[in-house]
Amino acid sequence: MATVQPGRTVPAMRARPTPGPLNRRRLLGGAAYAAGALALPVGLAACEKPTDGGGGGGTVTFGSNYSDEVPKKAVAEVLAASGLDVKINTVDHNTFQENITRYLQATPDDVFTWFSGFRMQYFAAQGLATDISDIWQSIGGDFSAAMKQASTGTDGKQYFVPFYYYPWAVFYRKSVFQEKGYQVPKTWDDLKALATKMKSDGLIPIAMADKDGWPAMGTFDYINMRSNGYDFHVSLMAGKESWEDNRVKQVFTLWRELLPYCQPGANGRTWQEAAQSLGQKQTGMYLLGMFVGQQFQGEVAADMDFFPFPQIVEAHGQDAVEAPIDGFMISSKVKNVDGAKELLRYLASAKAQNAYLRSDPNNVATHNGADTSGYSALQKKAVELVGGAKQISQFLDRDTRPDFASTVMIPSLQSFLNKPDDVDGLCKRIESQKKTIFAS
Amino acid sequence: MSGDRDTQPVGRRNRRPVGPWRVVIRVFLWAMALGWLVPLLLPLYASLRPYAETAAEGYFSLPKTLNFDYYVQAWQGGNLPRHFLNTLLVAVPAVVLTLFFASFVAFLISRRRLPGGRLLLILFTAGNLLPQQVVLTPLYLMYTKIPLPWWMSWPSELVYDSYWGIIAIHVAFQTGFCVFVLSNYMDTIPRELIEAATVDGAGVWRQYWQVVLPLVRPALGALGTLEFAWIYNDFLWAVVLMSTGDKLPVTSALNNLRSVYFTDYNLLAAGSILVALPTLIVFFVLQRQFVAGLTLGANKG
Repeated sequence: MATVQPGRTVPAMRARPTPGPLNRRRLLGGAAYAAGALALPVGLAACEKPTDGGGGGGTVTFGSNYSDEVPKKAVAEVLAASGLDVKINTVDHNTFQENITRYLQATPDDVFTWFSGFRMQYFAAQGLATDISDIWQSIGGDFSAAMKQASTGTDGKQYFVPFYYYPWAVFYRKSVFQEKGYQVPKTWDDLKALATKMKSDGLIPIAMADKDGWPAMGTFDYINMRSNGYDFHVSLMAGKESWEDNRVKQVFTLWRELLPYCQPGANGRTWQEAAQSLGQKQTGMYLLGMFVGQQFQGEVAADMDFFPFPQIVEAHGQDAVEAPIDGFMISSKVKNVDGAKELLRYLASAKAQNAYLRSDPNNVATHNGADTSGYSALQKKAVELVGGAKQISQFLDRDTRPDFASTVMIPSLQSFLNKPDDVDGLCKRIESQKKTIFAS
Repeated sequence: MSGDRDTQPVGRRNRRPVGPWRVVIRVFLWAMALGWLVPLLLPLYASLRPYAETAAEGYFSLPKTLNFDYYVQAWQGGNLPRHFLNTLLVAVPAVVLTLFFASFVAFLISRRRLPGGRLLLILFTAGNLLPQQVVLTPLYLMYTKIPLPWWMSWPSELVYDSYWGIIAIHVAFQTGFCVFVLSNYMDTIPRELIEAATVDGAGVWRQYWQVVLPLVRPALGALGTLEFAWIYNDFLWAVVLMSTGDKLPVTSALNNLRSVYFTDYNLLAAGSILVALPTLIVFFVLQRQFVAGLTLGANKG
């Protein structure tokens, strides 16, 4: 001990090079900065603490997945015109969807954007949504029965206000059909005959893309609903039917008949690329949602038309239309119920829907009295299509459990497109995975 | 990490005449280096070209248009400045707190011979091996049940959806590694220094603050840069434990650049490069710290 002299410690310290960006003073400075930084959001929060609760007047919080630039702006304008003090919390749609269960259980906003059908019923059944049957008593007359049906939970109460929808149909270019003298096919045989004719004319008859996994679901839905009917489709989606049922195998067998007419290599193509091939007259038809219109401008956009998916079995005709509906719900942890309900009443009005749809030519308002004078020809046709529908389906990934759709159906449909021959094995695999998922 | 470690001995190898074996190695190394660079260079190239062009001609075609339009669009459309600030609000306090706490524990274990200190060290190191995803759901449930006053967390008034919660989880997970590194580094400081300080009447705090801490500066610097990069890159915790879109860090803001039905990968590439830029800059400027950080505490002096 005696050999250690205090003085020696000092040069030892100095002798060390100091490559570190951090010394003690800077560390202290950093700590001070950190404290300041933490205080910053606190300071912001302090300004924002509103007088919540109370008699319906206060702020309504609005959880939004309208994260794309145009809809984000449009929805902000619509909400600003509501006359209520609405605070919007926008989360990008992907994260929003993946987090929805956690979001609803923790600190959800009063009103949130969501989808109708099974996905709405799933959360309503878990008690995560507020019953809004009272709103429907006053707004019920403004919506079709199918819309009301799509807003109703499994317990018969309403939980959802529909805002807009977009139908799925087979899109084509009018000029191509005119030039070659093609007729819109009414039945499955017509469709195959048309496809054969297109093929001999050097066109790829049917555009097909499934790189992202979901676009091909639309084809499955339509073939299933046309050949087995809407009711079977819904109960299959709800996990109540076996995927090894012959009726399901029939769907894949029918689909396989179309594959020789489809663009090969669908799993490597995005729907945008498939849509472009339609726009460039390389392909003849494309089954997709109205949002396909985002890909076309000017002359090509004006040349677009669609026809409903052809009939397969006469009993089911062309009854069902696939038209996913987007809308709003109130969370069960709502802080300002009166304000939230007032906001939903406003969003269910024709005025709010007209205002929103002015920015969006690829959707259609759900309100019966919405102003259709500004609609494009396609939008008008969509209203007709859905208005005449006996049933409205919501698209596979909305009509069934999200985990089943993404972890089972996406890879299954992609493997079907790759190897369409093994239908039995495919259905067996889907069924065994379905049992595990629906049991949880 | 191991890749970085391997590059050192290769560089230091003695100069020998170039034999055929050496050519093979060179070719192999160049191929590997290219393999690592392509995922970085390809997005950079794509981000400078309009979507319509790459859609028509493929990503490997020669450019017709090269511009920075996507960078402007990503910066504004993705609201990146705000999310960069959010990331700083999490990363800076988390790094500072982690280093502060870790140096305390390391000091106790290494210099004060805390009873059971080694066990604690093993525990910390073992904790590091735990996959973070395991505690995801329990943590989420806990966070939604712990209240905070409204001036600390608004509007949730919970640890959930607040920066405090995110900072806490980062500190908790990163402290283990830092304690391990720092205590091994402190072991290399001559015991006599502390003894001398004790003789001079320095208390424990003074020994820590004025004797040991200045000596572990290189280790702190290395850990600081490493930890900053790790916490900056975090995506999981913020997305799971936050519900307010405007509070999310920059890594999750990339999702804002994807639209509902359509993803413009060129725009996304521009955004990714902007988001990766700070870590790249930190890495290139403080490269030496990084490499030092990786081998710190690997051997005892």
